[in-house]
Amino acid sequence: MITANRLTRRFGDRVVVDDVSFEVGRSEIVALLGPNGAGKTTILRMLGGLITPTSGSVVVDGVQLTRATGAMLRSRIGFLPEVPGLWDRLTVRENLAVYADLYKLQAADRILDWLLDLLELTAHQAARAAELSKGMRQKVAIARSLLHDPHVLLLDEPTSGLDPGIARAVRRLLYDRRSQGCTILVSTHNLDEAERLADRVAVVQGRLIAIDTPAGLRRRLTPGRIVVRVAGLASACLSAVRPFDGSAVVDGQLLTLRLPDPERDTPALVRAVVEAGAEILEVRPEAAALEDVYLHLLADERVSEAEER
Amino acid sequence: MTGLHVAALLRKELLDLSRNRGALLPVAIMALVSLLLPFGVTLAIPAVTGQHLGDDSDLLRVSAAVGAHAELTRDGRVQLFLFQQFLMLFLITPITGAMALAAHSIVGEKQARTLEPLLATPIGTIELLVAKVLGSLIPSLAIAMAGLALYFTGLACFAEPGVVRAMVTPRTALLVFLVSPAAALLSLQSAIVVSSRVNDARTAQQFGVLIIIPLTAVLVAQFAGMIWLSARAFAMVGLGMLALWVLLTVVSAALFERDTILTNWR
Repeated sequence: MITANRLTRRFGDRVVVDDVSFEVGRSEIVALLGPNGAGKTTILRMLGGLITPTSGSVVVDGVQLTRATGAMLRSRIGFLPEVPGLWDRLTVRENLAVYADLYKLQAADRILDWLLDLLELTAHQAARAAELSKGMRQKVAIARSLLHDPHVLLLDEPTSGLDPGIARAVRRLLYDRRSQGCTILVSTHNLDEAERLADRVAVVQGRLIAIDTPAGLRRRLTPGRIVVRVAGLASACLSAVRPFDGSAVVDGQLLTLRLPDPERDTPALVRAVVEAGAEILEVRPEAAALEDVYLHLLADERVSEAEER
Repeated sequence: MTGLHVAALLRKELLDLSRNRGALLPVAIMALVSLLLPFGVTLAIPAVTGQHLGDDSDLLRVSAAVGAHAELTRDGRVQLFLFQQFLMLFLITPITGAMALAAHSIVGEKQARTLEPLLATPIGTIELLVAKVLGSLIPSLAIAMAGLALYFTGLACFAEPGVVRAMVTPRTALLVFLVSPAAALLSLQSAIVVSSRVNDARTAQQFGVLIIIPLTAVLVAQFAGMIWLSARAFAMVGLGMLALWVLLTVVSAALFERDTILTNWR
């Protein structure tokens, strides 16, 4: 488990990360989502003990990250930087072997064999890093971050620039780590990636704007809105739903309306539609696209920043 | 500090260097010059010109610094003096040659963006710096020592009888095994310190080679007969430089700001 407590980081007069607090639990994947320059990498670096926060603290597995505990906690964290950072003149296996030694791994050869096999790198283990494609380099860097079986994984854009096949393999690997109890924080500016991968999404723009499940975030933009799909034209039952929402909208088979309390009002709505003679095919909360929510949240943030100034 | 972390990174440094042998060329060239120059000046030129070194009264006067050595001829005494002086060149060899390696070590990691994953491991700053210094020192020193072995072999083969035996003294041993590595360590550590603060290997190199200035001054002063450093003086200089190196290592760890290195380098 990893906790960010009111993390703030300034570079000179510029506040890059401002009072960010959140927690990522065991067996959970959280995606840090934000535009370029939103402070995602800085947050990851602070959590990984690479740079110190101007204020605030980081707690890993109940231990506060300090100068004294830094080395011990870094041995529990797997960190994937934005750039793979491989030693070009060393082979894939040699690159990993150096890190295995730095983590003082017992049975390093067996672990290397397993990881190389897992990431389908065995055939390339004798190739020098300089000869690898971008995707291969990223896979080696991911293997490096997993070498010491870390409790916490901090991954900066893990699938950035990867072809879809490799990106899917990486996602599977992360699901697997999650099922084994690993705490995973992934930074991305790719909405699709965040939605596919994460249990929760933290939207950052210097500050933490929102943190919720992808579905929860989507509902924020459309609170209480319900979509009813019926057999035939929905206009036939429009009069039946008017008492619930006078501005209900019809579009072919779809009926969209806002309920003051969806939990309480949905059964009554269903009864009213059925009594109006319609056959209901589907009732669901209207969910905005995550992209819309994200852009809406960022726009709101810009407005509040402007107001503060 | 754990030796395992240093050993792991040192292995990487040596492996990397073994794939980039061109980086060792300056050390090899410097060792070759240190080897050829003394034999050229002391043996080849007199042989070509037909002049004996022992006939030069000035050389005889300054060569008295190495002691009476009644067992040697006049030529032998001058040769002993000159070969002792040129021994100092082997002190400069590992410094000049390894400077490129050391200066490049941190800057190179910054440029290749390999420092960030390294700093994310449990390795400590001092461990990182020690491994970097040793990674530059060991190969350079090995080449310098190989050059020295050839130097003494050449002396045994071509110098006046008794010269090589007269060369093997505690003073020589201290120069070779204490002062030379200590000077190299001090110089390399300076280069590493600067290397971690700048973005350009050449800047680090220029700072590192500053140590050559006092060493060259000692070399020239000894040639001119102005001073003659005894074994005791070499021991003190060597130990002093080692102490300075330890101090510099601590200072460099304090100056090595992970934040700055990671955030100011793009």
